[in-house]
Amino acid sequence: MNDLPRRSGAEAGAAVAVEGLSKVFPVPFRRKSITAVRDLNLRVEAGEVYGLLGPNGSGKSTTLKIILGLAAPTRGRTKIFGRDSSLVESRQAVGFLPENPYFYKFLTGEETLRFFGKLCRVNGSRLKSRVRELLELVGLTNARDQRLSTYSKGMLQRIGLAQALINEPKLVVLDEPTAGVDPAGSRDIRNLIVDLKQRGITVLLSSHLLTQVQEICDRVGILARGVLVREGHLEELIAIENRCELVLENASEALVKEIEKLATNSNARLIDRRKSTTTLERLFLEATQESESSAKHAK
Amino acid sequence: MSERLHRGFSPARIFAISINTLIELTRQKVFYVLLLFALLLIGCSVFMARFTFQQEFQILKDISLGAMSIFSALLAIVGTARLIPQDIDDRTVYTILAKPIPRFEYLLGKLFGVLLLLAISIALMSALFVVVLYVRERTVLNETLRQMSRAPGEQLDAAVNAIRAAGLNIDILTGVAVIYLKACLLAALTLFVSTFATTNIFTVVVMVFVYFIGHLQATAREYWLEEQSAGWVARTFLAIVALIFPDLQAFNLVDEIVAGVAIPLVLLAKTALLGIFYTAIYTLAATFVFYGKEL
Repeated sequence: MNDLPRRSGAEAGAAVAVEGLSKVFPVPFRRKSITAVRDLNLRVEAGEVYGLLGPNGSGKSTTLKIILGLAAPTRGRTKIFGRDSSLVESRQAVGFLPENPYFYKFLTGEETLRFFGKLCRVNGSRLKSRVRELLELVGLTNARDQRLSTYSKGMLQRIGLAQALINEPKLVVLDEPTAGVDPAGSRDIRNLIVDLKQRGITVLLSSHLLTQVQEICDRVGILARGVLVREGHLEELIAIENRCELVLENASEALVKEIEKLATNSNARLIDRRKSTTTLERLFLEATQESESSAKHAK
Repeated sequence: MSERLHRGFSPARIFAISINTLIELTRQKVFYVLLLFALLLIGCSVFMARFTFQQEFQILKDISLGAMSIFSALLAIVGTARLIPQDIDDRTVYTILAKPIPRFEYLLGKLFGVLLLLAISIALMSALFVVVLYVRERTVLNETLRQMSRAPGEQLDAAVNAIRAAGLNIDILTGVAVIYLKACLLAALTLFVSTFATTNIFTVVVMVFVYFIGHLQATAREYWLEEQSAGWVARTFLAIVALIFPDLQAFNLVDEIVAGVAIPLVLLAKTALLGIFYTAIYTLAATFVFYGKEL
């Protein structure tokens, strides 16, 4: 067995450490190059959900690929639990779901998990029980014998998430995990991520779907043209220092008027007053669930 | 599991990738089309014109071994060309290499999958060829025995021995083994080309050129070096060609086998070593390029 590199004290707590990372792609046959990532420093602490945000082409996927050792950095270095990403053993405790994953379509859901399990040296009864657990976790037990060619986009994302968890990773890297998935599937994946966090698994995800990121991430970093332009705890980043919100239920018109009067008499300024609304996503989910349950009753 | 130490080399992982690759290849229609053509050709060779039994057996061996050689080469090239680019296009390679798997294990798994497919295909073609040859040999033997029923014993023995010598013999297995080695070499070379090629078509086209150059280079070398007084430029050029391209003519032992010439063991060993050497070198080159590849 190989000796694993020792982790330094400062890095032991960091699930992912990126130091001075730059990635430049030369353009063939031209004296030009494209800088995908520029002098990036970030740290994902163990146990947190970190969201790497940014528009298309901002360098999110490139950063994730370098962290996973799939691409080499031009400058700087990346570490996973203190081990250099270029080392194969750094991926021992990592699960990865790429953007729009395609798996071998000729395999069934169960065969796919068995294949990836064998690659991680999970064998025998351990593999069998792990496959069963994961199929249940991602809600694909009934589709276990279906070929992946018949899976919907959401089902593919879920089987992708299951394969990422086959080796019981301590870090899960998700590249646009809900891209192209319908709201119900998207919510399932979001719930799974929350579940991973509760199990103490570190999650590093990239996305440009900001509402979802806001719901599940502890910290976020915003990339623009390869540069980290903002980073921090979500509440700190999105809070507006000199404003607060009151949400009242069953408040009489007189009480609301009284509050408005109090605000006017002090130095505060009432900016907005409106009826509370639900989100369009929640409305969509409720409507589709109602329709499904009435169809079931009709049967 | 996460805490388990990583093992640098795992035959089990390579085996898992190989079996998966084999299944992937057998799902391609081209595999069945090629195999069907080869089997049809071998099966139909029994209906070829018959003059003497020696000629019949020669034609049968010539067509069957030739078909096995060409179709196994085509399978090796077409089957291998799309494996890596397809995995990259589908991003399947990301999910595999994001696991603790060294790139050389992934490549070896892919290559062994192709070699398994080639072994199965060649075994199927050989089985049909042997059955056809055996049936024809029995028929000729029975006919000869009937026709020569009143001939003296020594004459009959000589005729039977001549039939057996021209029919099924161990040299056929030697020929099949050399055909397999050549297909392995071509698969490894295709894998190497596919690690830097941008499209499958490019890989296949390059391999078709390599196939022809590989077969012609020995003749060219012979002509330039022995019949012409080649200058240092021609000699250097030929040396470079010989280094880069495999000498596929060295694997062409079919003519000798068809003619009934016994293949010396030394020649067989040399050819086998050459095949293994080329396959290993191209696999190493593929690994070297693939390690530097940005995915």
